Amino acid sequence: MDWKKFFFAFIAAFIFLFVFGFLWYATLMHGAHREVSTLLRPEADLKSHFGWLVLGHLVMAFFFTLLCARYVPSGRASAGAILGILVGLVYAGPHLISFAVQPLTLKILCGWIVGAVIQFAIAGAIVGAIYKPAAEYTMYVKERSR
Amino acid sequence: MKRFIIAFIAAYIFIFFWGWLLNGVVLKDAYAQTPNLWRPQSEMMSLFHWIIIGQALVVFAFVMIYASGFTGSGVGAGIKLGILLEIGAIGMRLGFYAVQPFPGKLVFYGSIGGLIEMVIVGAIVGAIYKPASARISSQ
Repeated sequence: MDWKKFFFAFIAAFIFLFVFGFLWYATLMHGAHREVSTLLRPEADLKSHFGWLVLGHLVMAFFFTLLCARYVPSGRASAGAILGILVGLVYAGPHLISFAVQPLTLKILCGWIVGAVIQFAIAGAIVGAIYKPAAEYTMYVKERSR
Repeated sequence: MKRFIIAFIAAYIFIFFWGWLLNGVVLKDAYAQTPNLWRPQSEMMSLFHWIIIGQALVVFAFVMIYASGFTGSGVGAGIKLGILLEIGAIGMRLGFYAVQPFPGKLVFYGSIGGLIEMVIVGAIVGAIYKPASARISSQ
């Protein structure tokens, strides 16, 4: 594991996940979320829980980067994006379950699922583009998988 | 393909019963403390197919990642994949906790339950499915 490249990939993934989350869920979907305001914390309460949001994104970014670094050994953006789409689908499943048990709207469900897939596909491409292990390691993995 | 389908079905059966045990039995009282966050029971039952589709999607995507072959093979590799995916999901759960007024207890026990779930799903998939490269090298 190249920890220096891993660290840069992790920071880039964290920044992207956080900014995308703000743009997609808090800005683009703001109107849809207002329709279910009883399910959300009031503004002041949200601010006091903001640290959890940051921590959550840090955990997501760290383990997603670890997943890409481990399972996309060739370190290409396209391979990272494919893994990101699959990870996005793993995380989209609970959104469908939430829709069944929480009074969410269909618009919110679609927004969350599309958001998760796009978010992790791009994050995967970013990590794949940044985290490129040394050529010898890539050759070793290719040989081993034959 | 045959092993893929068997692994999918076995993991799905487990995840379905685990979901019922964790959310329907163990955490039932914790859910009851926040009735305003949940649909009424009758409405949930009419939307039950979304739960089935959601769980199937989780298992399908999990097996797809495992089947890509880069995860290695065997029970250990499946468990490692399950742990990595679930800790990422715990991050997502923390994000939801920040914006939705879930009780902390629900998030904590839900995360522990989710981790156990994905470890067992990983073990099931790893025990049943052998990626092509692993099958060739073991012959």
